Amino acid sequence: MKKRRFLSVLGLIGLTAALLISGCSSQSSTQQGDKVELYMGYNSDPPTKKKMEEIIAKFEQSHPNIKIKTMTAPYDDFYQKLTTQIAAGNAPDLWQSDGTKVFGYAQRGAILDITDYVTKEISKEELNGLEFNKDSDGKYWGVPQGIQVGALFYNKDLFDKAGVPYPTADWTWDDLKAASVKLTLDANGKNADDPAFDKKSVKQYGFAFFGSSRGAFNILKAYGGGVLDPTLKKSIINSPENKKAVEWMVDGMQRKLFPNPADLKAFQSNFKAFLSGAVAMQIDIYAATTSMNGAGLNYDVAPMPKGPDGKRFAPVIANSWVINKKAEEEKVKAAKEWITYWTTSDEAQKEWTEVGEAIPVKKSVANSEMFLNPATKPENKKVFLDTLEFAGTIDTNAVFTEWVKVFTDNLAELFMDKYGTDDFITKTDQGIQKVLDDFFKKQ
Amino acid sequence: MLELQTKQQAKPAVNKRKWLDSEGRWGLLLVSPYLIHFLVFVVGTSVASLYFSFSDYDILNPPKWTGLDNYAKLFEDPLFYRSLWNTVYFTILYVPAKTFLALLLAVALNQKLKGLKFFRMVHFLPVISSWTVIAYVADAVFNQRIGFANAFLTKLGIAPQNWLIDEFWVIPVLVLIAIWKSVGYMMIIFLAGLQGISSDMYEAASIDGANAWQKFWRVTVPMISGTTFLVIILNTIYSFQNFEQIFVMTGGSTEAGSTGGANNASLVLMLFMFRQAFSFFKMGYASAIAWVLFLILLAITLIQFKLQKKWVHYD
Repeated sequence: MKKRRFLSVLGLIGLTAALLISGCSSQSSTQQGDKVELYMGYNSDPPTKKKMEEIIAKFEQSHPNIKIKTMTAPYDDFYQKLTTQIAAGNAPDLWQSDGTKVFGYAQRGAILDITDYVTKEISKEELNGLEFNKDSDGKYWGVPQGIQVGALFYNKDLFDKAGVPYPTADWTWDDLKAASVKLTLDANGKNADDPAFDKKSVKQYGFAFFGSSRGAFNILKAYGGGVLDPTLKKSIINSPENKKAVEWMVDGMQRKLFPNPADLKAFQSNFKAFLSGAVAMQIDIYAATTSMNGAGLNYDVAPMPKGPDGKRFAPVIANSWVINKKAEEEKVKAAKEWITYWTTSDEAQKEWTEVGEAIPVKKSVANSEMFLNPATKPENKKVFLDTLEFAGTIDTNAVFTEWVKVFTDNLAELFMDKYGTDDFITKTDQGIQKVLDDFFKKQ
Repeated sequence: MLELQTKQQAKPAVNKRKWLDSEGRWGLLLVSPYLIHFLVFVVGTSVASLYFSFSDYDILNPPKWTGLDNYAKLFEDPLFYRSLWNTVYFTILYVPAKTFLALLLAVALNQKLKGLKFFRMVHFLPVISSWTVIAYVADAVFNQRIGFANAFLTKLGIAPQNWLIDEFWVIPVLVLIAIWKSVGYMMIIFLAGLQGISSDMYEAASIDGANAWQKFWRVTVPMISGTTFLVIILNTIYSFQNFEQIFVMTGGSTEAGSTGGANNASLVLMLFMFRQAFSFFKMGYASAIAWVLFLILLAITLIQFKLQKKWVHYD
């Protein structure tokens, strides 16, 4: 009797499992006549959601055969939901992917190779940032939805108060450090080159950097170093150029010209230090202008400083439209129509530019008065467009979050004086190479 | 369900041979919403995760069977041991301190005091607040620039500390905040236990000449040992599963490079698992962590059940 009960329970489990599996794959496509229902995903906050809905409404008017159904949520939730949707086989046909995640989906086989479409139907001359989602084999995986590029943000009020001239396009990282000395103040208002300067009570820092796109990566690159080689499968941390750059950073931390990770943490979020006027300069991307304008900060932007050999580097993230590999043919077609509309329609581009979230992907709109409007801060928006000339990706690949974690963790230890530059380089080189090997050697 | 069936089996011999009589079938039907939920979302997902733990699964593609690879890798991963130790350390500080404090509070609030309801409510307030709110309150105390804690230390002439980003302090401070947040909940459980003690016991003790301390130690403590046991088990499980607090207070921002605290000092098992699954797309590895976590908890709970015979009284 006991055995029978056991068997029936086992049977029920099996039945449930079968139900689960079949439930995941039986996705019926709703279709009325010739109308295609395109399922689209994008991450949003209230203003971007409202804008996107307006653009979708306009698209549906001019494309009566396509009806768009959306899936949207705030950033973190969106990507968690998307991941489970992909696993269950009911992900959107088309979604807007963070630029740092595109290769993650591509190399795990979740999105469609759209090289053909991009080379035949998208005009490279008219679009910003198309090349940033091209992999080392020359394949295209996405079409830019909005461009983020980094620049040097500076607080004009703090510069005026210290009597330091604003950053120029000719600045080197050493110039930045020299200015930081004058802009770093302790509780008594003494700056960092005063012998009485109290390192323990710094109230204002010269310059802050942290994380991936706003962080040390950009300085390594300007010094001629970097993290990964062009194949994105090998660590190049162990180089004399990197060592020089790291020493430059550690020196700034030790002199308290730059806040270390502990100092930054005291501001609740890394971004608050600059936002609250306690930091005079920061590397940041275009998206930051929204919160800075919201905080009423008197600021402007300058191009990223040069390295010792005159090399310059700025981070770029091309947030992109990507197509689900499993999408049905007619939906792929509709998705391409949407992408074409997004990248070519002045109307859509202008609407999106109004949210102030990204640099427009269509060059003519990016270069228009509408985007460059000097009446809104930062006045010098042209810096972002000029920067695109020397900008590059932050070595995004399939295991980007994982190697960045190793990199930033070790960097934090270094900046907290837990070990020296040489130890940092060896440890990070091995750590990152292990992450890369774990993933790429398997393939 | 099992209990139901054992009772049926004790029934007259006629029903003995049938697997389920009509009463039993009705019973099953009535509990079926729960049973289906249990089979699909508890048994089903557990079986799935057990399978994933033996496979290479990146969520986006179907799992590939790799046998014990994940477990082998796990036992070689220094971060696994680090997170295991952090979890154990958290538990060692958390469980005894919170249990003792909750009992003390319950005894104090079991007296006939003026404004009793107010005091009980005050202790229960943090319980119903979300961790995000608690994080703001905790920041007001433990922020190294503007927090009360450092202001107080400076007044005493002691150097200010970095609290939540200091390797030494992070776990004790997290434990302190966790106790403050949830002690009210355990206090309520103890209060219920205390109210179950008949006043006769105390009267008898008084007649025998026992003082307040003796009454507490000889009457209260043994009488609520069953409740204490429950509280200890609940706290241990909670402590091993603590994720939200540590994520919000020392992990939230992926950009910060401080997920899990400085030098992974607050990387607990749950955070380690979450990171592997959702940041690094290593669902198979994360499932292996989940099963190891489960086995550890099971072992600890079984040991506690064995030990209870020595000190728990059910009378």
